[in-house]
Amino acid sequence: MGIARWLTPLAAGADVPVFTAIGAGGRALADEAALLPGVRLVDSPRAANILLFVGAVTPPLLRPLLGIHDQLPTPRATVWWPGRAVGGGLASALPDLVVGPAGDGDHLRSVFAELLSGERRSEPPALPDQEAAEWRGVGPFGQGGTGMTGGVPYGRPLPSRAPDPDGLELDQLPLHVGPLFPPFPPGLILHIELQGDVVRQATVGDNPFAGATEDLDQDGPPLDTALFVGALTSPTPIGDLEVARARHHLRWAARTLRLHGLESEGLRLLGLARSLAPADRAAVESLAQRIARSRSLAWTTRGVGILGTDDVTGGPVARAAGLAVDARLHDPAYQGLGFSPVVHGAGDARDRLRQRLAEAVQALELAERAGSQLRRPGPPLEGPRGPLGTEDPLPSVALLGLLPRLLAGQEWGDAMTIVASLDLDLEEAAVGQPAPIPA
Amino acid sequence: MNWSSPLPALVLVSAVLAVGTYALAVLDRANGDRVARRRLRPRDAVLQPARAASLLLLTRPTATERPDAQAWALAPALLAAMAAGALATVPLDRGVTVADVDDGIVLFGAAMAIVMVAVYLHGWSANSPLPLLGGYRFIALALSYEMPLALVLIAAALPAQSLSVGAIVESQQGLWNVLRQPLGLPLYLVAGMGLGFWGPLNTSDAPDLAGGTAVEVSGPQRLAWELARRFVVVAVAAMGAAVFLGGWQGPVLPGWAWMALKTLLLLAVVAHLGHRVARVRLERFVVVAWTVLIPLALVDVFVSGALAL
Repeated sequence: MGIARWLTPLAAGADVPVFTAIGAGGRALADEAALLPGVRLVDSPRAANILLFVGAVTPPLLRPLLGIHDQLPTPRATVWWPGRAVGGGLASALPDLVVGPAGDGDHLRSVFAELLSGERRSEPPALPDQEAAEWRGVGPFGQGGTGMTGGVPYGRPLPSRAPDPDGLELDQLPLHVGPLFPPFPPGLILHIELQGDVVRQATVGDNPFAGATEDLDQDGPPLDTALFVGALTSPTPIGDLEVARARHHLRWAARTLRLHGLESEGLRLLGLARSLAPADRAAVESLAQRIARSRSLAWTTRGVGILGTDDVTGGPVARAAGLAVDARLHDPAYQGLGFSPVVHGAGDARDRLRQRLAEAVQALELAERAGSQLRRPGPPLEGPRGPLGTEDPLPSVALLGLLPRLLAGQEWGDAMTIVASLDLDLEEAAVGQPAPIPA
Repeated sequence: MNWSSPLPALVLVSAVLAVGTYALAVLDRANGDRVARRRLRPRDAVLQPARAASLLLLTRPTATERPDAQAWALAPALLAAMAAGALATVPLDRGVTVADVDDGIVLFGAAMAIVMVAVYLHGWSANSPLPLLGGYRFIALALSYEMPLALVLIAAALPAQSLSVGAIVESQQGLWNVLRQPLGLPLYLVAGMGLGFWGPLNTSDAPDLAGGTAVEVSGPQRLAWELARRFVVVAVAAMGAAVFLGGWQGPVLPGWAWMALKTLLLLAVVAHLGHRVARVRLERFVVVAWTVLIPLALVDVFVSGALAL
């Protein structure tokens, strides 16, 4: 007790360790949280004292979110930046939940200070402290016992045997990852069969945003690409669209850098993206060139997740594969701006990074040239992930469909690189999808 | 004072590890803020490690379902012990070596080899898939670190014609090994960063595994693990300073001050690389280690041997 009294004032000055879980419409705001002074985003809930939930809760997200909540060590508190919609059962599941002003770092730190000082009680578990399935192991560490090997006995995934490419019979562990796994885009669930750290098979799980998008449009925070969706129906300045495109790509690049162990470089990109303006082109270009030329990043991403021109039809992923397709080529608003698409050729994760960085710089150039020129609704619009307003499925739907083939046979690290490189948006993929029927 | 008797030895090794680890944490923070273009408050950079450690001490540990509790507790202790054992072989000043044994280099290499056991144990014992994957990764890469490390240390021992670290320091009078064996220090630092799973070689506790072997640890247990891995980096830096940068030798300042400065220099390099170089891809690193790093380390041994004859 004496030691705790001595340590508490010192600990109160620590960067607040925050684990962010991202719901519908929360990704951009979660990126902002990384820039808050005195806040440190951590990779695991076990390393956090504050759970920050950003965005709206859809019913399928509630149970995983509460599971993450209970993994936080005590003292712990949950802060919710809900955007506009407060509901989804989160408030009733967590009675001590703090609904905070979105983006307010001072508020976040004050909750942390109250928690440490004892003014705020540490949150109790939200779920009953019981095992998900009865444990029938018998050994000193709970191992063995009847039926405790292979498949999912008694609701518990355990390894079974399966051949590997060398013809050996190896353990294969079923693993369900998501929908709030930090390296994944929010909402992505993958059912993975693992042999060692090699993904033998991956299938995409139910989209937790399915059936919720229409409600969110009316009531919730804006989608990541809201400005582009809005531009399909109302005149929008080209400058705004292009700055939003550049911001989108820089934020994506920042998340990718974090995944590859370059968190500080990513923070610098996020800082640039936060108050981005066409005048920042030189700064963005210089940083983008340095990242694109990084030998260590090239080493990590070259040859990973190769997509050919037959695999993709539009967006930066297609242009990274060498396909010179872009809705802006046929958009009258862009005539006279000297636009021609940036294209790469290898179609791997490295080129997808270089592609988006180059497109961010190009977007700022276009914004500078366009001035206050408006884009009128009508023709298809090139969104940050691909064309919008066409008969084709939205870009994320097609990209999501590529995952099982791309991930099979990849090492875990490469699989995470591939998932990140596609810039998936599960909310976009959910547009028009009905809600799953509850089991 | 007899630094090899238990109490002074314990105090000295603990003090060096504590100061070195704190310095590494400060340097790491300062480098991170500089790269991120965050406003660098010197007071924050200096105090933040102590604050973060205090918070972890106040945070309750958590448990997974049926962990191997003894192994889970043992892993950070084993890692810290190996770092301490390795550091004990390093002369911290003229005549100040805790374990001044004839084959100190071998003892150092042996301690570094057991790091693999500690990291795998940490990944295994949580009874959780992501930590286990982190453990697998370290096992997959460990030999790729240990081989070049052992070879460049042997090369450094050749001019001294002794496996004693003290003799290796003495042999650098007039010409440090960093100049005499230019391949040695870069290869040693790569291997050392791997053994401390630091920066680009932090594959076992990496963000793509949400923290790898440390995914499931909280509070004091997390603090112990984070300290232990930094102890390894400090021990590696101290040995690097002794074996390649002339150890305690240098003009004007006392020997211990030279040793501290040289160790700090290597810690600064490590902290800088941690924010500038992307994490390696496992398979490619193994290929490069066996086709480039180990052959280069062998060249280092052969050339050093020929020159020593």
